[in-house]
Amino acid sequence: MTWLDELTWLDGLRTAALVGTGRHSAPSPPAGLGVRPPEGLSREEEVLDQAAMADVVIRASRRPAQAPAATLPLPASPDTEPQAAGEAARLLELLLTQPPVGLELRNQLVVDWLQLAEESRRRVPHRLLPAMFALAETKAAVFKRLEPAIGTRGRWLQSLSKTSVPKPADEGAELGSEDARADLERLRSTDPAAARKRLATHWDDLSARERAHQLALLATNMGSDDEELLERALDDKAKSVREVATGLLDRLPGSLRAGRMSARLLPLLHLKGLLNKRIDIDLPPDPDEQAVRDGIPSNQRSGEPDRLARLDIIIRGAPLEVWTSVSGRGPASTVELLKPEPRVLDGLITAAVSRKDLEWIRALLTVRTDVRLLGCLPAGEREQWLEGYIRNGIDQPLTLVPLLRDLHQPWGLGLADALLGLIAGKNGGQLAAMLAQVLPTALPPEAAEQCRRLLERSDEDPARRRVLRDAVQYQAFRQSLTEAFQ
Amino acid sequence: MGRWSEERVINAAPDESSLAAARKLARPGPWSDSGSNDVLVWGKCQGSGKTPYQVSVDIVAPAYRCSCPSRKFPCKHALALLLLWARGEAAEASAETADFAQEWAGQRAERATAKDRRKSGEASDPEAQAKRLAERQALMDAGIADFARWLTDLIRTGLAAARSQPYSWWDGVAARLVDSQLPGLAEQVRTMASEVHGRTDWADHLLLHAGRWWALTKAWAARDTLSAEEFADVKAAVGWATASADVNDTEALPGPWLVLGAHRSDDGRLQQQRTWLRGPDGTVVVILDFAGQGQGLATPQLAGALLDVTVARYPGSPPQRAMFTSAVASQGLATSLGPGCTIAQALEQQSAAVARSPWRDRQPVLLAGVTILPEDHGWLLDGNDNALPLMDAPLDSLLALTGGHPVDVFGELEDGRLRPLTVVVDDAVVTP
Repeated sequence: MTWLDELTWLDGLRTAALVGTGRHSAPSPPAGLGVRPPEGLSREEEVLDQAAMADVVIRASRRPAQAPAATLPLPASPDTEPQAAGEAARLLELLLTQPPVGLELRNQLVVDWLQLAEESRRRVPHRLLPAMFALAETKAAVFKRLEPAIGTRGRWLQSLSKTSVPKPADEGAELGSEDARADLERLRSTDPAAARKRLATHWDDLSARERAHQLALLATNMGSDDEELLERALDDKAKSVREVATGLLDRLPGSLRAGRMSARLLPLLHLKGLLNKRIDIDLPPDPDEQAVRDGIPSNQRSGEPDRLARLDIIIRGAPLEVWTSVSGRGPASTVELLKPEPRVLDGLITAAVSRKDLEWIRALLTVRTDVRLLGCLPAGEREQWLEGYIRNGIDQPLTLVPLLRDLHQPWGLGLADALLGLIAGKNGGQLAAMLAQVLPTALPPEAAEQCRRLLERSDEDPARRRVLRDAVQYQAFRQSLTEAFQ
Repeated sequence: MGRWSEERVINAAPDESSLAAARKLARPGPWSDSGSNDVLVWGKCQGSGKTPYQVSVDIVAPAYRCSCPSRKFPCKHALALLLLWARGEAAEASAETADFAQEWAGQRAERATAKDRRKSGEASDPEAQAKRLAERQALMDAGIADFARWLTDLIRTGLAAARSQPYSWWDGVAARLVDSQLPGLAEQVRTMASEVHGRTDWADHLLLHAGRWWALTKAWAARDTLSAEEFADVKAAVGWATASADVNDTEALPGPWLVLGAHRSDDGRLQQQRTWLRGPDGTVVVILDFAGQGQGLATPQLAGALLDVTVARYPGSPPQRAMFTSAVASQGLATSLGPGCTIAQALEQQSAAVARSPWRDRQPVLLAGVTILPEDHGWLLDGNDNALPLMDAPLDSLLALTGGHPVDVFGELEDGRLRPLTVVVDDAVVTP
């Protein structure tokens, strides 16, 4: 029987069956099958007999198929590192398939596992790679740590389109940003001068909106070389562009504009008092044309001019050295003199933060708890300040939460101890709840015992109990991981 | 049997009031013809009626009988008699048992032996059994004839018309098959309802299955001409279960049995577990476990395990269904599943299996040196550049385990596609 006979026969059979033998008769079976149907059958019996035959013929005559036209992927090269075995493999499987802890903690523990694997030069067992990739698809933190522990086999799987893990969108990435802007942003981070040059070249072709957006990108890797373009932007006809330019120039204390601001500020400051223990500050006069260009608002047509706002702008733009030159003291003592002037301190904080002037930041921290200031400090120093604040009794502990979240983990024992004290105290539950995401992983292993003790205390606050329990669980599991990799 | 203590009698009372009433009757006055032996205590108690109540008590396997109409059990008469007997005030040992007590004891003994017989599964009556079998076959004959008529109706009105029928129409057909003791066919018809609504190639699927069902009705009608093996396959296809007790003693094939692979399925109503095993002489069998919803299936055997166990096969053509006939003990793990075959050879095996039993549509195959291709739902490619599509395949896992290298794969060949159950990687048998 040829396949063509078979096809024609099956077609006829299918048609007869579909419309019914009331309207269509059965085909004759192909001669090649060597079958002669018995005489005297009804049409239905003929069709059913042949269907039975077709069923057996088709199933008994299957031939191997041709492989789909796709190119065969090259086999994976052998792995260079040994796979994690025994308890380490078992714990990973547990985390991936039936996590014994909350999902947030699970993700962190998977990240820990990957890190420990890297340190002990082990890799994820092959059979667990799909589950690992599935998790990494939705959890950026896991995705970032996949290398090198996924090993050669993992990289091979990623190279296959089927199993490749799409990079999750970075949280906080600007939506709808134009390609050109993204391009310039990338260039600015690698080659600041080239980026500036490109922006200057295209400057006149850009819309006001685009000029403002792209000029703002200079914030990355800014230096005195950028001043020229920024000065040019001060003359821009669009207010939005001028505002970006003044904001950026505030960060350059050595710029011409800073010099002009210094000239405006200096006459306003007077050292007074018997022991020169006071700085009197005058309000600035109405701005001239040059001052308006530098961003100081001119008189409005109606109402009083906001002279304090003008002072703020001058303070933010002028070099901080103006203040030390007037007081004849260092920054710390100068700040001490300015304690009674909260609005001036605000301006100084803004200036110090935008210039990342550590000396002034430390000085200002002695009189103000400000998260912006703390945020500029090196991690270790920031932790000391935080600990100090907490130990000295802080009014608004919740303001620390964003800083604590950003802190490098694990925290030092001192900070952990101070914070646990705060959490254990009255009204500590709310703080615990707000730190629920970070606390379990941020506490150092040595703090686990303290958490356990606090947990054993009778406690009505469910949020606090949960956070402490999470911390204890995390540390215990983390301990098992560490031991498994030894 | 010793005499009961009064305390024991009191403990047998169903409640306080029965006991109080019994105490009033526990005097020799109303009692006559009382007596006892090692097993029985009996007596007659004159109540308010004309004839005295006849009381009998089996003191060995405590049981009570009284002709009074009381619904308390034991009644006050039985308790009173026992109290008297316990005190030694009546029912002295007697050589002759009262007729009524003897009769009651006789009935009890008969019932007990009948129960024992049923329990041990002894053929109580070959004649009755043959009658039951004939009745069942007549019922199935009628069901098969009805089903054949339904098939001709289906073909006369056309498959297109059947496709527009609701699920209830198919369920009706299935229900009639169940009533005719053909649950295997009923299950196939019920499955067809969703296949017809869900498959793109539904017309061919239904046509070919209608042909298969039609052939099954013919095979049933001609069952007297079939070999025992062929008839067993037909029985399995229509759903005539073979009792495990009938298989248990037939043989005890010794191990070690190698677990080739296992598959679990759950169609919402029934969970099934198929475990494929290969014996030392190469015989391949499948162990089937079933569990209803909410029940637990038997613990799965680890793929690659060598089991020290004896096995008995159900009747039918190979690969046969089988059952364990001894406790399962593991003898360790195999590092490979042995030599496999090419894709062409696997398809030939399936052809041969279809020739043996056209009712079966699943064939276990062990393929050697095949590569996983991630196209579509996955493909296998062997050394001769022949390919076989996969079904129900965990592709990510297969690729991760094999890394694109050729491996041995064990699976179920079904409908021209392979359901992979086990792969052999780095001297280990693993389930993907």
